[in-house]
Amino acid sequence: MASIHHSADNAPPRPLLQVRDLEVAFRVEHGLARAVDGVSFDLAAGEVLGIVGESGSGKSVTALSILRLIPDPPGKISKGQILLDDLDLLSLTYDQMRQIRGNEIAMIFQEPMTALNPVFSIGMQVREAVLTHAKISKAEATDRAVGMLEKVGIPSARRRLHDYPHQFSGGMRQRVMIAMALVCHPRILIADEPTTALDVTTQSQILDLMLELKHHESDASIILITHDLGVVAETCDRAVVMYGGKIQEVGTVQQIFADAKHPYTEGLLASLPAMAGPRDEQLYTIPGNVPSIMDMPSGCRFCTRCEHVTDRCRQEEPALHEIGDGQFVRCHLLEPGSKPDSG
Amino acid sequence: MTTYFVRRLLLMIPTFLGVTMIAFAITRVVPGGPLEREIMQLRLGGVTSGESGSGSSSVFDPTADMSSEALEQLRKNFDLDKPGYVAYFLWLKKIAVLDLGESYLKREPVWNLIVHRLPISLTFGLSGFLLAYLISIPLGILKALRHGTAFDFISSTLVFIGYSIPGWALGALLLVFLASGRFYDVFPLGNIKSSSYDDIPSLAKSIDDVDNVSDEFGTFEWERLSFVSKVIDRVYHMFLPVVCYMMSMFAALTILTKNSLIDNLGQDYVRTAFAKGISPARVILLHTLRNSLIPLATGLGHAISVVMAGSYLIEWVFNIDGIGYLGFTSIQQRDYTVVLGVLVVNTILTLLGNILSDFLYAMIDPRIRFE
Repeated sequence: MASIHHSADNAPPRPLLQVRDLEVAFRVEHGLARAVDGVSFDLAAGEVLGIVGESGSGKSVTALSILRLIPDPPGKISKGQILLDDLDLLSLTYDQMRQIRGNEIAMIFQEPMTALNPVFSIGMQVREAVLTHAKISKAEATDRAVGMLEKVGIPSARRRLHDYPHQFSGGMRQRVMIAMALVCHPRILIADEPTTALDVTTQSQILDLMLELKHHESDASIILITHDLGVVAETCDRAVVMYGGKIQEVGTVQQIFADAKHPYTEGLLASLPAMAGPRDEQLYTIPGNVPSIMDMPSGCRFCTRCEHVTDRCRQEEPALHEIGDGQFVRCHLLEPGSKPDSG
Repeated sequence: MTTYFVRRLLLMIPTFLGVTMIAFAITRVVPGGPLEREIMQLRLGGVTSGESGSGSSSVFDPTADMSSEALEQLRKNFDLDKPGYVAYFLWLKKIAVLDLGESYLKREPVWNLIVHRLPISLTFGLSGFLLAYLISIPLGILKALRHGTAFDFISSTLVFIGYSIPGWALGALLLVFLASGRFYDVFPLGNIKSSSYDDIPSLAKSIDDVDNVSDEFGTFEWERLSFVSKVIDRVYHMFLPVVCYMMSMFAALTILTKNSLIDNLGQDYVRTAFAKGISPARVILLHTLRNSLIPLATGLGHAISVVMAGSYLIEWVFNIDGIGYLGFTSIQQRDYTVVLGVLVVNTILTLLGNILSDFLYAMIDPRIRFE
């Protein structure tokens, strides 16, 4: 609670979380697979940041790295810094890291069906989160758990403390997960595909709940991992677009949706079904498949599927560069001075 | 839930009938039963009194020179004059009031024979059973956490070697190597407590004054041993048999614990628990282990029957006078009332064990609710 005071002066507030040059590698049969390769981004206090990408783009691995939850072996954070204020999370001891998990940074996961332990009551699981980080009595912890469960909209929460996860619906379980994540008032909430496993009406209820809690309750910054651009448009302030373990484009939601620059982002947007327009029109798809992580092209990661690909794209990896007002793109065609030469 | 268990208890009845019906039928068909034995005895008795000295076991028709009335009387005694189903029904009627009949050979109520021996068998069976769980669960956890290391590999090898040797065969080996004196003489050859002063383990001897337990003629009095010495003596006698009991369950339990734990450690809820900042010990021993115990609980009922069945041979090898030994010897001697009596007790224990494991299953896993 002592951590919300950040944006008092006029100077741009320093980011709450800074990920710098993060590299995560997995040991596979024939060498190392770099699932995340030099990812850097900032998260400002109070901000909702979306990380978008297809499966295999490295977005979930990035999220798990922040809490150092990458299973090791086979995974390993091989390079980079993750700064929470001035604290490099990657330099902490295991016990120091435990103080961060659930307390400063909490996480909710995709599958509410399996993310809760089936053999313990939800009351026990939420209370456990409290008791791990606060030195209070069991009764107090129970009260806090009940309070949080009420806030996430579990009806007659106190009576349902003794119920087990299988007695709740998917949406209700995700609410329990959110309660468990927010009960210690973390400064950052990482939500890894929180609505993917839910049906559409429940999806929007859960997103609304997260935003509502953010505005009225916790003011935690949120990192929202999703493959669903619609979710990003609805909820995020800024978005990071990932492809092949690298960031391809960063910008505000307005920049991304109204003025996307990177061919990959354009492709993603074009493949969204439009509400207006003829119904019999074929939905656009980006040609080809995401290359295997072991088989990434040299040069630009997207060169195998890009419609504007040039020889340079195939040979030389573009750098992430700013094209104005906080919008960054990794593409040769958008580099200052480069003309879209014939392809 | 109550209705479920009431139904399970009622379902024991048809199972019980099936088991006993088959066993009863076998006792009626297999040759060498009590009737033949009785006739043989009468016959031999007659021979020895009539033609003294020339009694032999040459082949002849045992019923040849018996009066048909005497034969009929004998058949009647064993209910062999009636059709099988009538005899079974008569037997069942007595079982219903816990009258297991009288041993043909020991001339003692079967019920008494069993009641005296049941505590002995249960002591061995349950110690082996509990020790197997107490050792193999932690071992399984350790193996899961050290998966793929030398420790994991070596312990797996040992566990499987142990698994591939039946308990009674292991018993015989252990006796030869550790108790016979041919190689080592560390453990006693059998029995459940010392019957003479020489049998007492030296540790117990050192606790008790020698003169305390043996009087001036050197005879041994168990009652005068101190409590500690009695315990030491019991453990000393029970050690090898209990090892054999454990062996039969050990491998399955260890490997099941290990695999089940590894399975569960990959589950999403484990990641959630770590993300909450819970200590690894708590994540493993509380969150994961409870889920991993579910398959172990199901095996419990079966394990009880293994303990009972295994005890036939292990008790025989170690000369332990329990119901396994009783059952085994009475089969050899065709003492059918005892055979059936032991079978009744074992069947009921096994069926209750199955219900018990259902109950434990529901205790551990809240998703299981029997309706």
